Amino acid sequence: MTSLRRLFRRKVNVVALAVILGWVVLAVLASTIAPHDPTETVGRSRQPPSPLFWFGTDQLGRDIFSRVLQGARISLPLGVVTVIVGAIPGTLLGLFAGYFGGVVDTLISRFVDALLAFPSILLTLVVIAALGPSLRNVIIAVAVAMIPEYARLVRSSVLVIRGLAYVEAARALGASNLRIMFVEVLINASGPILVMSTLQVGQAILVGAGLSFLGLGPPPPTPEWGLMSAEGQEFLRRAWWMSTFPGLAILSLVIAFNLFGDGVKSVLDPKLGRGRG
Amino acid sequence: MLRFAATRSLQLVPLLLVVSLIVFMIMHALPGDPVALMLQGAEGGVASPERLAELRAQLGLNDPLLLQYGRFVAHALEGDLGMSVRFHEPVTGLITDRFGSTLALAFSGLAVAIVLGVPLGALAATRRNSWIDVASMGLSYIGASMPVYWLALVLILAFSFGLGWFPPAGGGTWQSLVLPAVTLGVSASGLISRLVRSNLIEVFSEDYIRTGRSKGLSEGAILWGHALKNAMMPVVTVMGLQFGAMLAGTVVTETVFSRPGVGRLVVNAILWKDYPLVQGCVLFIAAVYLLVNLLVDVAYAALDPRIVP
Repeated sequence: MTSLRRLFRRKVNVVALAVILGWVVLAVLASTIAPHDPTETVGRSRQPPSPLFWFGTDQLGRDIFSRVLQGARISLPLGVVTVIVGAIPGTLLGLFAGYFGGVVDTLISRFVDALLAFPSILLTLVVIAALGPSLRNVIIAVAVAMIPEYARLVRSSVLVIRGLAYVEAARALGASNLRIMFVEVLINASGPILVMSTLQVGQAILVGAGLSFLGLGPPPPTPEWGLMSAEGQEFLRRAWWMSTFPGLAILSLVIAFNLFGDGVKSVLDPKLGRGRG
Repeated sequence: MLRFAATRSLQLVPLLLVVSLIVFMIMHALPGDPVALMLQGAEGGVASPERLAELRAQLGLNDPLLLQYGRFVAHALEGDLGMSVRFHEPVTGLITDRFGSTLALAFSGLAVAIVLGVPLGALAATRRNSWIDVASMGLSYIGASMPVYWLALVLILAFSFGLGWFPPAGGGTWQSLVLPAVTLGVSASGLISRLVRSNLIEVFSEDYIRTGRSKGLSEGAILWGHALKNAMMPVVTVMGLQFGAMLAGTVVTETVFSRPGVGRLVVNAILWKDYPLVQGCVLFIAAVYLLVNLLVDVAYAALDPRIVP
């Protein structure tokens, strides 16, 4: 409880969480509160922002505000699902490597080191190339690139935890390896995993939108934020609003995840609180 | 020192092998028929079974995977990364034609990141909790949370369409390099300024800084003569990593600005289903990245002899 209180004593963390929750509410209610149908032509094409179309209309006369709302229904789940899909195998790998050590550790660690040795975007691109562009494959590709980062993080926490007295106590009481790994060790390693996951949701949203912008994500007419910006680039000179508003949506959401993630981090690890800022 | 450089270089070999094996396996072992996709992408329509079999045999795809990989490595060592399906040209040539442009972009991006990041971090550290500190932290958050393509579009709106200073697309001239370099540099400058700030704050609490203050050195002399030099050492490593990350970051930047380069080539190769080209580009970028990090490590060891084990 005290950690939670410390987390919300800082105003910036409260604001960040409010922005995230605000986007969640907008995503859930998107269809109800959107003033127009996000996939239908509802006005003349490329109209500037006005009281009728808050964010203007796109090249096909669709309402950009409604499409941005609809886009939250893609980017938010994309961020969360990607992190879950990447965190589970990564955590398991790190848990096994750190807990068992020896050959298991060597094999897993060498593999993880090799994956971490080059920029993760390359791994993402290779997976997309192999699977083909689509929303599902963006999730898989970004998640695959996260696996080594989780593995390294969890392994280093497990190495510390497995030598602690309560793990030995559990073993003395006759607990099985599996029980010790998943009950004693994993629960105590969950703090850093939680911090990393909060930060990674924002990161996954960014990378996912970037891939969609490049045409490697869902196809048109999906109201995906990156794709909307890409469609707007062609009309940038005369219709700045087409690319600008979807980008602002991402900026507000990702900055909230980054601020909140850093907030959680400084609460869980007080050593980091000061110098790093 | 020489021994350190030599062992560190030797570590590169197994790393490159594992990286290439991973890339190769992902490209060849994942579900989906690359040959069918390739023909669809290159020739349009659904390919006939005969054409598929022909191309499979031509690419040696009927052999066991490890044999294929061995052949790929043997060829790669001779500088042959295979033939592009779309261009019917060697992949190596397609990459080397564009690498100069990508390298220029990555270097100038790094320059922008340093020019923005180091002074901002130093200002923030010397005036802690002032408005400059808060503003520079805020900027670094915004830089880290902004899609790179979006920053590029905003810069085009302001400086190409608004002020007319720089062209919105293309390559070749120095003017066309400015906006892409700023795009790449701004996102990296946040990280650098944060690092400079936290290192400086740490250094300011060292004994030799107190000694400097007590003998009456000005704050400027302390910052420029003593603190910054010591705070910069870890930053140099990060700059090396950032340079590598920038090589990868050119993927988005080159596409937005329609610059000829390896980053844009790999995106197009994926869209064209040109698998040999994708594989070649990715391995090439990975190899350059590993090489840059090797050079940074060796340079770092040369600067600070304590590093060498």
